[in-house]
Amino acid sequence: MTDKDNKDSELIEKINRGHIVESEEEMTPGYKKALIVILTVQGDTELMSAPSYYLAAKDAPNINSRIAVSAIIQDELGHANIAYRLLEDIGVDKRQLVYGREPNKFKNPYGFDQPLENWAEMVVANGFFDRAGITLLADIHDHTSYGPWKRALVKVGKEELLHLRHGETWMKRLSRAGGAAKEGLQRAVDWMFPMTIEWFGLPDDLKKHNDQLEYKLKGYTNDELRQLWMRKVVPLCEKIGIKVPAHHTEESDRYDLEYEFPLQYDPDSKKWLFDEHITWEQVFDRWRNRGPYNERFVEMIQGNKNSPFSGINWLS
Amino acid sequence: MALLTKEIILSALKEVNDPELPISLVDMGMIYGVEVEGGDVNITMTMTATGCPAIDFIKEDILEKLESVEGVSSVDIEVVWSPAWTKEMLSEDGVYALKALGIAV
Repeated sequence: MTDKDNKDSELIEKINRGHIVESEEEMTPGYKKALIVILTVQGDTELMSAPSYYLAAKDAPNINSRIAVSAIIQDELGHANIAYRLLEDIGVDKRQLVYGREPNKFKNPYGFDQPLENWAEMVVANGFFDRAGITLLADIHDHTSYGPWKRALVKVGKEELLHLRHGETWMKRLSRAGGAAKEGLQRAVDWMFPMTIEWFGLPDDLKKHNDQLEYKLKGYTNDELRQLWMRKVVPLCEKIGIKVPAHHTEESDRYDLEYEFPLQYDPDSKKWLFDEHITWEQVFDRWRNRGPYNERFVEMIQGNKNSPFSGINWLS
Repeated sequence: MALLTKEIILSALKEVNDPELPISLVDMGMIYGVEVEGGDVNITMTMTATGCPAIDFIKEDILEKLESVEGVSSVDIEVVWSPAWTKEMLSEDGVYALKALGIAV
């Protein structure tokens, strides 16, 4: 065993005894690398939700709901800043992260490479995507070995709960309204439910090695997080008469999907091809090739490279 | 049946929190007036900001809470912007709770 491995196992052992990492000096290179990856994913996810919600805000049906979405966008940008600020503390260049990367280098989930094209999609994003965010971040808050992150997430969690409430309240309203409103809600759920299921990543039986769990950056596995998400989302949809391809199984007390997962997705029609099963390698290829709005969203954040007002030109 | 009073309504509102903070609307100083006539309740209140994203949620929470109070037959909420809310309107409990959350007041 090399010296580096020894240091790593020492740190892991300390963490398993409840040690909380507070500074860069305590980190092994492996710990730091895993922390940078997971914090970048969080920051990028928060950041890219902003342009996505921004384009949908114009569909808000009244002034109060438009104000609510604007407030949500502001919150999300703040959350991105918190994640990037934590990265800055361990030596990552925040400005480079935001303005210096090519669009395909942002690590947001595939769902935030898609346009939200109407109010139903906007509120299902709050109800599903923000619920996924809360599920992931609550786990990190409760279990992470990185102290500064845990403390920063108190404010983030509170604000995300408001986004979630916005989403769920509107999902109930659209369903109650019936007719075209309810049909639109169902259409949004039809693509956004499998999208969020996929968001949680590789199933546990395929994921052999996980740095993030070993270093206790988070506590739950992908499958556990997917279950926690379904445990909230499926009953909500059932209650408001919206169909989802999953159900509760009494014997195992688990939620089971009613399709073979993962699936191919057609971003142009926003449809999942339920009879086209693919491998996870193909899912990763689709993610790497990025969704239709990746470049546009990143440009909305960075500004047009040819404009003197663009943030990208502030890089010295 | 017990007579519905302003005090009963205020103590119910003490259990309705700001959706963003674990502090009641009463301790936030957002409730300007409560009038009770028989079973009809009129509430005059403000929001902490004109662009408050949670106006709908706050109204819904008040209605839901007061629906469960015995003797209430109707609730009318009037949102006013004068006088504008300031942090001086926080109750002593509200100030304490905000400080405990790490918010400077």
